[in-house]
This record gives sequence, structure tokens and C-alpha cells, in this order.
Amino acid sequence: MNTRWIVWMIAASAAAAPSGSIPRTTDGKPSFSGVWEIPYVPDMSKSGRAAPGTVPAQIGPGALPFTPWGEQDFKGYNPEKFDYTAHCLPLGWTRQMNTPMPLEIMQEPNRIAILFEAWQTFKVIPTDGRNHPKNVDATWMGNSVGRWEGDTLVIDTIGFNEKTRLDTIGHPHSDQLHVVERLNRTDPTHLAYEITITDPKAYSEPFTNKRTFTLRPDWELMEYSCEENNKEVTEGHVK
Amino acid sequence: MKKLALVLAGMGLFLAAVPVWAHHAFAAEFDANKSVKLRGTVTKMEWINPHAWIHIDVKNQDGTTTNWMVEGGTPNTLFRRGITKDSLLPGTEIVVDGYQAKDGSNRANGRDVTFPDGRKLFLGNANSDAPGSGAAEKK
Repeated sequence: MNTRWIVWMIAASAAAAPSGSIPRTTDGKPSFSGVWEIPYVPDMSKSGRAAPGTVPAQIGPGALPFTPWGEQDFKGYNPEKFDYTAHCLPLGWTRQMNTPMPLEIMQEPNRIAILFEAWQTFKVIPTDGRNHPKNVDATWMGNSVGRWEGDTLVIDTIGFNEKTRLDTIGHPHSDQLHVVERLNRTDPTHLAYEITITDPKAYSEPFTNKRTFTLRPDWELMEYSCEENNKEVTEGHVK
Repeated sequence: MKKLALVLAGMGLFLAAVPVWAHHAFAAEFDANKSVKLRGTVTKMEWINPHAWIHIDVKNQDGTTTNWMVEGGTPNTLFRRGITKDSLLPGTEIVVDGYQAKDGSNRANGRDVTFPDGRKLFLGNANSDAPGSGAAEKK
């Protein structure tokens, strides 16, 4: 465990308010409803820089544990050849979480909806105890189910196609990708978010990224049409 | 106006350390080794997703004028940082620091805009996946 994580944990626990001060839904679970500012993560291995006196809003694990396949795939990635996001195709689940544009969470006892300003898209996550369907179709955003571990919301996502990258820098994944996210409302205005990537084809062991989301009660999600004035594509600047 | 300038300068100092993202990889189109400093007059500002675009007439050393287009981040994030479609009206004199397109055309990915009075606006682009780039230098 390196110094950065120790600093982060100390800061996070220092910032934590008594759990009675956070809002809860009718079933007694912490509520994550609201518009959240999320940190921009173009490279999930790295940590973001922090303003002086604060903890970075995003902490990465450092060098990723690539398998030989993963390393070769990453080295061979060239966004000049084709960058799917430049064509406004779906970002994929992890990259959707990596954008600097806010998201809104709308939470009911058995269902949680996450609305993303980026790409103006959404995901509904059932938290009624169900598991993933037996034969999951591979999709851009994967199939998500949620469950509670005490006051921690755990989102489990599988069933990804192989058309996306984990982040802007191009870290790879295969269809074996399994994403687990853990959300904790540490105080009325902050959410501790932890994402763990498991993909035995690309990485020899799982790795984790930790972030802090900040509640923005005065923000509303704005419209975002990726295709509207996409000069890169319409003027032929990207392939 | 002075207070706004101080707020913008302060935000720019922090935000420059965490570059904001273009919806695609910087490396697909722009060259981190081709940094440009464009001094000129705004002719048009496109304040439409997915990117803000600033068109400026740049006076060349030989007296000719070249029109450049500079890509910024999404208007949504710029707006939340206090930049609006009225921040860069036609006729405004600015200096743009950024990176030129790989194909050598008169397009750049903009990092900062500096006004004649020294105020800086951070345009918010994926400079973080440009090798060797980090926080924009603040004078």
C-alpha cells in the first residue's frame, strides 16, 4: 500500500460525517440521488493532480498488470486509425464513468438510474436482488445489477462487447471484462467511488481506481449532442 | 470584472493541472510536439457540442493573414467554468496556446486563451494524453 492511498484514506475518513447525516431512501439505504461532479479520468492507471492542500479526486494504481496479450494490444492501439468515440459511438461503461461531464443518480428502493450528460445516455440498475441473466448479450455498456453490502452500493457489470477501450489513453479489455463498482456516501456532499477491473485476458490481476464525486445541488444536466457539430468527422479530420 | 478575472485565473491554475477531455483521443488528430502560439482576432465562435471552436485571423510575419480554427472542450464544461458564448466575441484580440493538427493544416487543439490584459481562459482539452504535457505553465 503506497503513501498516496494512505493519504487518501486518512483524508476520506477525516471527511466522513456521522452516517445519520446522509439522506436515506424509504428502505433505509443511503441515497445517492443528485447531480454529481465526477473527475476526468483519461488514464485509469494514473492519479489526477490535486489543488494544494487537497487530496486528488482520482487515484490510480500505477503501472497496470498487463498480460502479454494486454500489453501487446495496448502498444498496438493507435487512435489515428480509428477512434470509435470520435464517431460518437457509445463510450462503453468505464469510459462513460471517466468523463468530466456530470451524472445524475435517481434512486428508488429497487432501482437506480444513472443519467450521463456525456452522450446524453443512461443505465438502469436493478437492486432487487436479481443476478445477471444466464446468457448475457454482449453490449457496449454491459449488463449491470446492484446489491447492498451494508451502506455500500455494489454495482456488478458483465457482458461487454470488444468495441470499446477502458479509457481515452486506450487501455484494452476483452469480453471477459468484469467491472465492480462500490459507492459510499461519506458525507452529505461527497461520494467515495471505487472501480475494480477484472479481465484475465488483458490483466494478470484486478486493479482498482478510487475517486471522489462531489454533489452539485445547483447543477442541472445539460443537453449534449455528440453528432450535432462533429467537425472531426464531417470535415474528415479523423478516420 | 476584476473579481471574475481573479476567479478565472485561480480556476485556470487548478484546472490546468487536470486537463479536461475531448470526446476522442488528442493523439488521433493533434501533435503534442507541434505547439503553436496564435496571436490574432476572433472572427467567429462556435458554441455547439461536441466542441467549442474559435476561429481567429492570425497576422503572419510577412503581413498576410491566415484564418485558424481552434478546438476547445465541450461548451457544457466551459460554461460551468464561467466561459460563455459572449466571452470571445468577434473582434476580440487573443493569444491562443495549443497544438497543431498532425496534417499540418490551420487547426489547433487549444489549451489556453490569453487576453491583452493578461487574463487567461483554459479551454479544456485532452492534453493529458499528449506525451510530456502536464499542467499549463502559468506566468
